[in-house]
Amino acid sequence: MKKKSFIDRFKAMLGDFKANPDAFKSAIMSAFIMGSGQIRNKQKIKAAVFLGVLFFFILIELATGGYIYMFTELSQYPGDNIYIIRDYGGIFSKGLWGLFTLGKVVAQTMYRGNLVSAYNKVIPWLSADNSVTLLGQGLIAIVLLSLFAGVWITNIRDAYTSRKVILSSGQIETGKQYIKRIWVEMFPFIILLPTLVMVLFFIVIPFLFSFLLAFTNFTNAVKIPLNLIKWTGFTTFTKIASDGAWVKIFLSVVGWTFLYAIMASFTCYIMGMINAIVIESKFVKAKKFWRTLLIVPWAIPSMISLMVFRNVFDLNGLANQLLNTLKIMGPVSNFLHTIGLQGVIGDPIYWFIIPENGNLAKAVILMVNLWLGAPYFMMLITGVLTTLPKDLYEAAAIDGATSWQSFRRITLPLIIRATLPAIIMTFTFNFNNFGAIYFLTGGGPSWPTAQIPVSMYVSGGVPGQTDILISWIYKLSFNNNAQLYNIAAVYSILIFLFIGFISVYNLSKSKGLWEDD
Amino acid sequence: MRNFKKILASTLAYGWLLMGVTVVLVPILWMINAAFSKGILLSGVSLFPDPSKFSFEHFEYLFTYVSTSSQTMADYPAAFLRTLSIAVVNTVGVVTFGVITGFVFARLNFIGKKKLLLTMMVLQMFPSFMGMIALFLLFRQFGWLNQPMYLALIYTAGSIPYNTFLVRGFMRNIPRSLDEAAAIDGATNLQILRRILFPLIVPIIGFIAVSAFMAPWLDFMLQNVMLPSKDQITVAVWLYRTTDPFNTLFYNPLTFMAGALLIAIPVMVVQFFMQKYMVYGLTSGAEKG
Repeated sequence: MKKKSFIDRFKAMLGDFKANPDAFKSAIMSAFIMGSGQIRNKQKIKAAVFLGVLFFFILIELATGGYIYMFTELSQYPGDNIYIIRDYGGIFSKGLWGLFTLGKVVAQTMYRGNLVSAYNKVIPWLSADNSVTLLGQGLIAIVLLSLFAGVWITNIRDAYTSRKVILSSGQIETGKQYIKRIWVEMFPFIILLPTLVMVLFFIVIPFLFSFLLAFTNFTNAVKIPLNLIKWTGFTTFTKIASDGAWVKIFLSVVGWTFLYAIMASFTCYIMGMINAIVIESKFVKAKKFWRTLLIVPWAIPSMISLMVFRNVFDLNGLANQLLNTLKIMGPVSNFLHTIGLQGVIGDPIYWFIIPENGNLAKAVILMVNLWLGAPYFMMLITGVLTTLPKDLYEAAAIDGATSWQSFRRITLPLIIRATLPAIIMTFTFNFNNFGAIYFLTGGGPSWPTAQIPVSMYVSGGVPGQTDILISWIYKLSFNNNAQLYNIAAVYSILIFLFIGFISVYNLSKSKGLWEDD
Repeated sequence: MRNFKKILASTLAYGWLLMGVTVVLVPILWMINAAFSKGILLSGVSLFPDPSKFSFEHFEYLFTYVSTSSQTMADYPAAFLRTLSIAVVNTVGVVTFGVITGFVFARLNFIGKKKLLLTMMVLQMFPSFMGMIALFLLFRQFGWLNQPMYLALIYTAGSIPYNTFLVRGFMRNIPRSLDEAAAIDGATNLQILRRILFPLIVPIIGFIAVSAFMAPWLDFMLQNVMLPSKDQITVAVWLYRTTDPFNTLFYNPLTFMAGALLIAIPVMVVQFFMQKYMVYGLTSGAEKG
């Protein structure tokens, strides 16, 4: 079935309106006052329900606002610049006002003849505006208002279609029938309600909030309640895109993020495959024993393993101890220098500490990640190996294929096809693998001082050489001297766009997942 | 000749496996050794167990050290109980929400279902840290920081979208004729869910329950941000502060090893015990994106 274009559907709707002018009248009435069209249609209970919703929303607005004090106070506390919605608005009007303005009045200033403080218990409008609260309340107001808009549209639609039915059949659906029908239709929504509320408040609103922060000037320079957050449009975007030194640091972080995500997934995959194939080969006995031992890293919480490895690669840790005890510290240190991992030959080796050893730290991160991640792929591929069709191999052997050929042409393609989604998932996981960096190196070693732009030292949130995007975002937001929320939000949006791109690709591959049967 | 080749292949195979097992086990054995070693310095840990250095002092420290006077319990057990309570609340929440939401999307038809499913699909892809800045700022504003139970709510909500797909996918493989038969006998939707479907979806519930129980033990970012107060630390934060060299007050690598060991052992037991479910969930999650 081909979908009609939006314009076609709109034209069809207009045509329908022309053909049913009487029903259209009901719809128009309901559009202005919810339920009035239903009164015209002589459906009293339905009308009462819609009117009730309308009054309920108005009541909330009135009850959460200070409208009753408005007139007396306006003459009592006159002023030049009075923000009436700010001072007396309810949850919806003030929410929208706050979302658009992010506040107007700050502490330690005069407003309507009085001194504004951080919090005034008696006269609410003498409390300073708090942009964070206003932004949050604004989003909540938007969500509630869209709910209201949903009911409003239902109400118009209902007025229209019921009128049509009444005119053609002469029968009026009774309120009882209506309520029963609505109950059946609404049942899924009613039991989904707690879920939807949770998702809305803990995922959707915070996400929108973070998204909007990218378009503000919110950093630790904004001291609430003495300052306000301001909408700055794309200023933050242009600022970090026009400062050459920032861009350079950003690009090197992004480059390492990609390199890390690709290499980490790839190495784990290869290692997992080798282990699985070796264990499943006919040369190895006691398969279960070996498998259990090699799975051990998967069973240990990764956070703990990573922190243990942080100590393993400490100056006095296991790695240096082993090299010393085996008396190979010199040759290994030389070797690491020769292949370009270690900037200066060290004894003991400074794994994560000095700026010259950035490459060494990166290599160690990949090795540790291999330790952590290989068992997952080993399990996955072992599962695939046990389901491979035996007859294919027999046929190949009859045709004279060597065991290498049958591995190359049969086993490998089958494994890859079965595990491709898992590889993509591992890639996106590694792309945001905060722990692998933060617990192991904490982002270190730092960059050579000359490479860090001065503006970054001033603003704080300097990344280390092994920081990936997400761990850098974490530093930008939560390091006490940084709190560059707007920049962190910009980078978050970039990550989201990238991950979203991959996810959409994955989605297009697995349409059956979200489509209905 | 053929025999020689075979011997060579098995030698290579066993050599490879032995090497792998060594690499896997050495850091773990060193960690255990360190946990039972005297002193506070990593340099004091010997490569091989040394009876003269053997000591329980780090485990003693775990159960006796109190950092803030407002606490009646030692830091480590308090952190443990706090994480445990978050884990329990999260598990209950995740299973409840997962089963109900999965059921609605697998079995009921309603207007806008497809759109909602697609929304869930998209939401599931948001990395959880995206909303973290906002949650932190809003929670700070409303005075909800340092409340472990609010944190549990965040975990629960965050896992809803993904679990919806897991449970829904599992339920869709159960023939609808079962529910239809029950519906003819007059069972309501909730009765069908409780009496008929629930016993059949135990494997996937097992998976999401174990994952939900594990989540608070494995996550650090949210806990560090949402529970900043010193007397509200969790196990993850405790572990991090003992292994962070910049934290001069608490940095203590050997104590860290002892504390990590006590957490790792029960987690490993659970993981191996539930391996069947875990592998099932991992692979089905992987296959279904």
